Amino acid sequence: MAVQTAPPEASTSRRRKSPLGSRWTPYVFLAPAAVYILLFQGIPLAQQIYLSFTETTLLNPAHSEWVGLENYERIFGDGEFHRTLRTTLVYTVVCVVGSVGVGLALALLLNRSFRGRGVARALITVPWAAPGIAVALIATWMFNAQYGIVNRFLDAVGLGVPGGSILDSQQYALPAILLTTIWQLFPFTSVVLLSALQSVSQDLVEAATMDGAGWWWTFRAVTWQVIKPTVGLLALLMTIWSIRRFELIWLMTKGGPVGSTETIVIDLYSQAFQSQQLGTAAAIGMVGVLISLTVIGASRAVARVAERRLS
Amino acid sequence: MNRSTTAGLVLRILGILVALGIAVFPLYWMLVTALSTNAELFAPRARLFPDLGRLGVFGEALADGKALGWLVNSLTVATGTMVVSIGLGIPLGYALSRFTFRGKALVALVMLFTQMLPEALMVVPLFALFRRFDLLDSLGGLVLANSAFVLPIVGLVLKGAIDGVPRELEEAARIDGARPLAVLLRINLPLIAPSIAATAVISFFHAWNEYVFAVTFIFNPAIQPASVGIANFIGELGTPLQTVMAVALMFTLPAVVFYLFAQKYVVAGMTAGAVKG
Repeated sequence: MAVQTAPPEASTSRRRKSPLGSRWTPYVFLAPAAVYILLFQGIPLAQQIYLSFTETTLLNPAHSEWVGLENYERIFGDGEFHRTLRTTLVYTVVCVVGSVGVGLALALLLNRSFRGRGVARALITVPWAAPGIAVALIATWMFNAQYGIVNRFLDAVGLGVPGGSILDSQQYALPAILLTTIWQLFPFTSVVLLSALQSVSQDLVEAATMDGAGWWWTFRAVTWQVIKPTVGLLALLMTIWSIRRFELIWLMTKGGPVGSTETIVIDLYSQAFQSQQLGTAAAIGMVGVLISLTVIGASRAVARVAERRLS
Repeated sequence: MNRSTTAGLVLRILGILVALGIAVFPLYWMLVTALSTNAELFAPRARLFPDLGRLGVFGEALADGKALGWLVNSLTVATGTMVVSIGLGIPLGYALSRFTFRGKALVALVMLFTQMLPEALMVVPLFALFRRFDLLDSLGGLVLANSAFVLPIVGLVLKGAIDGVPRELEEAARIDGARPLAVLLRINLPLIAPSIAATAVISFFHAWNEYVFAVTFIFNPAIQPASVGIANFIGELGTPLQTVMAVALMFTLPAVVFYLFAQKYVVAGMTAGAVKG
């Protein structure tokens, strides 16, 4: 398959003397992918930025009226969008803390050789491998008001959910979605952290334990120092993924009830395809992109400061 | 062994078992649901163990050909995405790994940037683009859209793999007069085969699982991929729940099986994609 899509003409038609090829060689290799990404990501993104400054409807998308910052002014003046931002923040923070926390705990448990460790490690990745659609489907059934296993269990232990349905409750829908998301993410964080733990020096850990250091002290002084960059990286990755996550939330609640699970991406999609306001939708999307960019920028700055302190 | 380490061991085993149970339970529950009778599903006490005598439900779920068609459509889109993204990703990874050139930092930045763009944001402009080029309602259009989103990850994983091939091997071939493309194909590709397999799994299942583009760009039910078909079941009452769960399981199992095999490389690749910006 590589043979067909690699650019053979340009690189083979010219003779060259340098063993590294001409100085155009890297661009020849780069070009197909670059053109492709420009076409299917770059130009659409540019169009989206433009749309965010216009009033455009889904019914007549070819006709755009330039309105300047009006879309942005409107969404920021709207209390519902503030709620969307808050929901996105809560969803993101809990996802990051939950998935990295659970993943780390599990990685520490698995970081000791025992029989069946390979099997345990493999089985634990199941949630991460399962398609989001299937996860949304089974989660919806498990949270079903009357016959779902979750409610049956809660009833059995005497903790019935007031009002019945979890996913129809403004109070419990977001926690249910969060649980489902963290269930899907913790295998990834735990496998990554488990491999980071392999580079913790066992000699150092033993030396610390010998000196009478407790588990917590050893963890902080030795283990944590080694895995800190990996934890940082995972936190960044989980943040970006949470801000852009769509299908799980959309299929479980569509942002409801009463907007209580509406994150930026859900808001953007319903603005575009239900309210049919493409301009507003684009502006909402750009806010999401800017938030992600800020997070990446901030995390790089933090990493740079940490590096400088070390050297 | 003193008492405190024994207690620690018991706690550790208990913790691992609980985590395993939580990890596997929802898929187990899918199986139990698929293999229950209606009466059992809606009885006051649910059936907790699968009734293996009812395995025929999987065959019945495929019998009318509808669900089978969905799965075939998904297979087509996923295979196409795999071919396109690896075909473009190999030269991309090679350029990033072996050459220094102007604009390299920009390319790396763009590849990181694309990973934070939500599909839901790009749906509208891609819809407009596809309408102009008559790519709506076609599996080829889905292949093109999905490949664009998975290509940066594929490129970064393959860059990392090529980084690991000793340059001396290439130099020897070059002294013998081989051109860069020949070097890439004959020296590097065989050595990075495991990573190519990993990117095959990543790109294939990226497209297999994809929902937003599929639900927005495909109108003809005959070419609907399984992700859309299954999602339409949610909240719908006409289809028996057992059929729904059986189809969803058949949709899930290939992903789980392949990810188990490629797990190590996939995880390494996904994190590499995020670190190297």
